[in-house]
Amino acid sequence: MTPKMMAHAQTVSARPRAVGVSSTRPTLDFATIGRTPLRLGLGARRTTSRELQVVEAASELLAAPLPDVSPDEEVGMPSLLRGFEATVPSADSARVRRRATRNVDAPRLGLKRLSLGARGLLAEPAADEAESEEDVVVVTRERGRRGRKKRGRESLSANKVFGREELERQTREIARDKENLHVRRSLLHNDITEITSKIAALDAIRARLEEDLFKLQEDELELDDELLMVQERLELETSQNGPSGSRHASLMASSRRRKGPAFLPSEHDELPPGVAFMSLECGSTPITSLDFSEPYGTLVTASQEDAHPRVWDLLTGEEVGRLRGHVGTIKALQVEAHLCATGATDGAVRLWDLRRVDGDVEASEWDLSDVLEEAEEDGESGGSVVVDRPHSGPNGTVRASRASEEADDDDDDAPGACVRVLEGHSKGVTALYFENDTLVTGASDKTLRQWDLTTGQCVMTMDILWAISHPSTLPAGHMPGFPVAGATAAAGAFAVPTPPYADGSWELYQDFIGAVQSWEYALVSGSGDGAVRMWDMRTGQAHRTLLGHTGPVTCLQFDEIHVVSGSLDKSVRIWDLRTGGIFETVKYDHGVTALQFDSRKIVSAAGENGVKIYNRTSMQHSTLTTNGHTRPVEKLRYMDRYLLSGGRDATVKIWAL
Amino acid sequence: MKTAEVPYAADAELSLSFDELQVLRTQYEKELAQSHVTTQTKFNYAWGLVKSPIREHQVEGVQLLADIYRSEPKRRRECLYYLALGHYKMGNFDEARSFNSRLLEREPTNLQAQSLDSLIDTALKREGYVGMAIAGGAAAVGTLLLAGLIRRATRK
Repeated sequence: MTPKMMAHAQTVSARPRAVGVSSTRPTLDFATIGRTPLRLGLGARRTTSRELQVVEAASELLAAPLPDVSPDEEVGMPSLLRGFEATVPSADSARVRRRATRNVDAPRLGLKRLSLGARGLLAEPAADEAESEEDVVVVTRERGRRGRKKRGRESLSANKVFGREELERQTREIARDKENLHVRRSLLHNDITEITSKIAALDAIRARLEEDLFKLQEDELELDDELLMVQERLELETSQNGPSGSRHASLMASSRRRKGPAFLPSEHDELPPGVAFMSLECGSTPITSLDFSEPYGTLVTASQEDAHPRVWDLLTGEEVGRLRGHVGTIKALQVEAHLCATGATDGAVRLWDLRRVDGDVEASEWDLSDVLEEAEEDGESGGSVVVDRPHSGPNGTVRASRASEEADDDDDDAPGACVRVLEGHSKGVTALYFENDTLVTGASDKTLRQWDLTTGQCVMTMDILWAISHPSTLPAGHMPGFPVAGATAAAGAFAVPTPPYADGSWELYQDFIGAVQSWEYALVSGSGDGAVRMWDMRTGQAHRTLLGHTGPVTCLQFDEIHVVSGSLDKSVRIWDLRTGGIFETVKYDHGVTALQFDSRKIVSAAGENGVKIYNRTSMQHSTLTTNGHTRPVEKLRYMDRYLLSGGRDATVKIWAL
Repeated sequence: MKTAEVPYAADAELSLSFDELQVLRTQYEKELAQSHVTTQTKFNYAWGLVKSPIREHQVEGVQLLADIYRSEPKRRRECLYYLALGHYKMGNFDEARSFNSRLLEREPTNLQAQSLDSLIDTALKREGYVGMAIAGGAAAVGTLLLAGLIRRATRK
């Protein structure tokens, strides 16, 4: 064809509103030309947008992949056509037909009229008569004729004969109908499984959203704590500009009850959470107590069989000295800024100034004059101390120096770390807590003493045995495990075997007073009879006893709202401070020996190698084990995101939370 | 792999009665109102629509089939055939051919697909003949006109 003809043909086809010619295929062939008569209007057709959509969708559909269906799935899934045949309305027609074949032409019984009459409605006589004309065979019931009478009593099916073909056809139809039923059943099964899986997927989404909700709640609590902290600091700094801003007081005010963020070096943020990034070896016996002044500050640890706690610098991870003075194992220890208080089984409480433990060059010079062989402290002189330095001199001996001094907390010419010794308890001190100028101690002589740190005198003694026998409120007697609490307390020695730790070991727990904490004039103590007592230090009376634990209470902490106590009965209880009711009980697998809590979590040492963390908002447990302890954790303490734990493997591990 | 059970193309020419189609439509709309349409209902309605001789119905039917194709990957093989059949009935032979050939790639032994294939071929050829006839006719008319013009020009 000449180009002119081609152009002509093109205009012929382009003139009517052709569908899809230009969009999908640029080629021009006879087929497209042949389509033009159709499009020109054989049938006055208008192309609708739907048609266009459908055609355009075709190419997109072809792009979609065709998955391979596994054989067993195929068996379960009837084909679409089969389903069509089973569910289309005419599928039932065979059944209807069969039923119709069983319709017997019976004499007109007037059933409809009967039923209407039974219901109390009027029947329409006109309708009745009209129908009767269309009746097939009317058999009259005349009693006279014998033949008819017999016929009336025969069963309806007597004269009905189907014939073999009809019956065979009916069998086949029934079989087909049954197949249809099976098909429909499998269709429904498939639908049900689909819906179930969709529900499962939606449930999973909902669970994830709820987790996110929990995290938001946690964040909110954290922000609240931060706000409190910032407000405190604000007050502090504004008051420091005033006349009486003593550094000492400012540090005291915010340290033990500090809940908000601490000052951490910026590198701390880069540490992986939940991993122990530093380990300190402290001798060879289990750690009995530890505390630190601030993250990356000064740490003091005490071990069993060792009367001299070690002092560490957390920035470098090295031991900087020891506190010599005690004779027995240190059971209780607290560090606040540069002040350290220790209580030991010798019944004495000592206060130390940690700044003096740091080995200076000046300190080493005075020991040239009083160099002596290593000598232990003798308890009777007021406040002698020996500062020992781990670095040995060139001749390999450990330089020791001893200086006696008055029991005084002022700086002296003779340096020494021990600042004061408080004696008064008759048995070993097992728990202590100090804040500002008040120190409270609990000892195995079953008394609690309050001391004034400025004078060094005991201000009050509170006897637990007396409190037990004179309860302020009548106990409801709901302690099944401790019916003879008073009796065991009155008995001389208190010794309870601990439940086995995770590694199977156990020991005899003999600390009658496991933990104390005070704030202004309120004091809370946890004791070996399982009771948590709240005392008023102005009167010296226990005004409330919280009963619930069935084992000795080993650790406790309180804030404005809650008291949290952990005990050897493998549980941690959260009490309401104001009413004494229990908020929550958290169960563990082994006895709890140490805990600390804030608004979002409770970190506890529960007889396992890992440190247990309980999330209070989501109520989930987690454990820190990476690079962790090899024997159960005994004590722990954390500040903001810096956690220290000491275990029976004689190591202290430092974690980033 | 089992071949899909699909009807021959001739089945698509048999349309359902109006009442039957109405029942299918009601069923479909009822499930729509409950916002959960089962695939079978959708297919029933779509197949009923495709079988009808009215073009609008066919278009709607093909649309529904395309929906099923998109949303149910397990049913795609069967849908390929039905889509091919639908487009064939509507006259979109190219789309019909592409769907059908896709199916034949997967199932070369499918009898119905093969028969549909030959049907599409025949239809295309027929259109081709018609096209040739038109083109020829147009060419003839064109030459006549040209001849007339030239004669007129040379005469004057």
